[in-house]
Amino acid sequence: MDWVFLSELAINGALTGLLYSLFAIGLVLIYKASSVPNLAQGGLTMVGAYVVLALARDVGLPLWLAIPLAAVVMFGLGFGIERVALRRLAGRPVVMILMLTLGLDIFLRGTTLAIWGGTSRSMELGVSYDPLFLGDIFISRIHLVGAGVALALFVAFMLFFRTRTGIKLRAIADDYMASWSVGISVERGVGLSWALASVVAVAAGVIWGEIQGVDQALSLLLLKGLTVAVLGGLDSILGAVIAGIILGVVENIGADFLDPLVGGGSRELIVAAVLILTVMIRPHGLFGRHDIERV
Amino acid sequence: MQEKVEAQNILSMNSVEVLYDNVILAIKGVSVQVPKGEMIALLGSNGAGKSTTLKAISGLLKAERGRISRGEITFQGTDITEAPAQKRVEMGICHVIEGRRVFEHLTPDENLTAAAPRGMSRSTLNAEKDKIYAYFPRLAERKNSQAGYLSGGEQQMLAIGRALVTQPKLLMLDEPSLGLAPFLVEEIFGILQKINKDEGLSVLLVEQNALAALEIVSQGYLIENGRVVMHGTAEALKSNSDIQEFYLGGGETDFHNVKHYSRRKRWLS
Repeated sequence: MDWVFLSELAINGALTGLLYSLFAIGLVLIYKASSVPNLAQGGLTMVGAYVVLALARDVGLPLWLAIPLAAVVMFGLGFGIERVALRRLAGRPVVMILMLTLGLDIFLRGTTLAIWGGTSRSMELGVSYDPLFLGDIFISRIHLVGAGVALALFVAFMLFFRTRTGIKLRAIADDYMASWSVGISVERGVGLSWALASVVAVAAGVIWGEIQGVDQALSLLLLKGLTVAVLGGLDSILGAVIAGIILGVVENIGADFLDPLVGGGSRELIVAAVLILTVMIRPHGLFGRHDIERV
Repeated sequence: MQEKVEAQNILSMNSVEVLYDNVILAIKGVSVQVPKGEMIALLGSNGAGKSTTLKAISGLLKAERGRISRGEITFQGTDITEAPAQKRVEMGICHVIEGRRVFEHLTPDENLTAAAPRGMSRSTLNAEKDKIYAYFPRLAERKNSQAGYLSGGEQQMLAIGRALVTQPKLLMLDEPSLGLAPFLVEEIFGILQKINKDEGLSVLLVEQNALAALEIVSQGYLIENGRVVMHGTAEALKSNSDIQEFYLGGGETDFHNVKHYSRRKRWLS
């Protein structure tokens, strides 16, 4: 057993996993407020990346300005989605809202295809691709940056959920009717959660766009993000971070063992197995909320 | 004269009809007046339309696909029949809904924070919280535990406290005694009475526990089958023999002399 190699796999797996977490945080935000896994989060991430590129390339702004500006645009888009589409569905069965988010994902993918075409574009963040060595272990710089962004967002949201607005959002997640009864605007709360998730989508879109290029394939991140969110418990941001690290490590090390045996492609299998097993064995995930039953 | 009566009533509900899903007639022309600073009870059995009446006043009907199809509701002289629920809370109507419904995954302290009106300063909020903890010392003791694990009585206190944070002028409570031990009901009702006296808060109380409710209110309305069938002072209702028979569980104590015909709710036919 080569311990250096194994720890290199583990560390890079954990970093990649945190990038999945970065994506999954957006899912968790929306799930917390509306109890629906947002199947359009992949589409939002892709649109986030395209908006950054549009501002940077087509308008010609520097990236440090284009990214926050894109976050503002996406914040508005998130609010708009609630206002135009979701508000009408309030009180309808959850499966309807789920279908709506699926339709939204397809719509967003089609829109980017129509506007920017299907050719992959590069983000060009300017992060160096020179290898970074930690002792004998090789680490990718962009993954390190992305993991840092994920952790920063995690801390920011943990703090946010202690503010008055954050507490109101958690109250909405707990009980719509009781929220209405004390004058909390449930509609605005759900809109805010979509807006925040759209901002997270910009962060995920920029990092993942840098890694794999900006095209419609970005929306497929949903599969891994959803696996992480489900494993973490769907409504726990801490869960999303820890589940991301777990999935990243398991995937990286597992694939290294399995790939020679099955001839490659075992990564996807491992992710799918984790998703299926979580739902079967532990539907609340690692940190998911249980409904409280007092005895 | 009419003007004067209006001014004395903080809430006036006139011949209100409520439809659910556009077909089910839940209440059929209910009129209820709440005089300013008084405690009023709505009594009646299960499914009589008491909760629907409260929801019509608080605007929560909309969340259950109900609507007011006839009649009008005025609060402090303003017509609120069409106003959204959030606006009514801002105006000073707060509804403690049935079944307590505290925010289970939040602490009691966060439950109170969640109900803070927009723009309420931190110092005002803290003052409100202190006041509520003074009324409900049990809540103060447990303010940082998880609300879902509080006892039933504590959850009811929290639900009332949470409503008080919105600084209501009219507090409406739906079955606050449900599932609570008699001594707790007494404790909670005692606190309600104290708040009513100290702050001049008007209270509209829905209860099946007529015995407990009639002890603290000044007037009561009896609702059956979506209609008000009786209205009077608490004293008059307590001494009414029909009320005693059907809602207070009093009346016959001597089983040898039990009447052999079955009494009916005559006012229903």
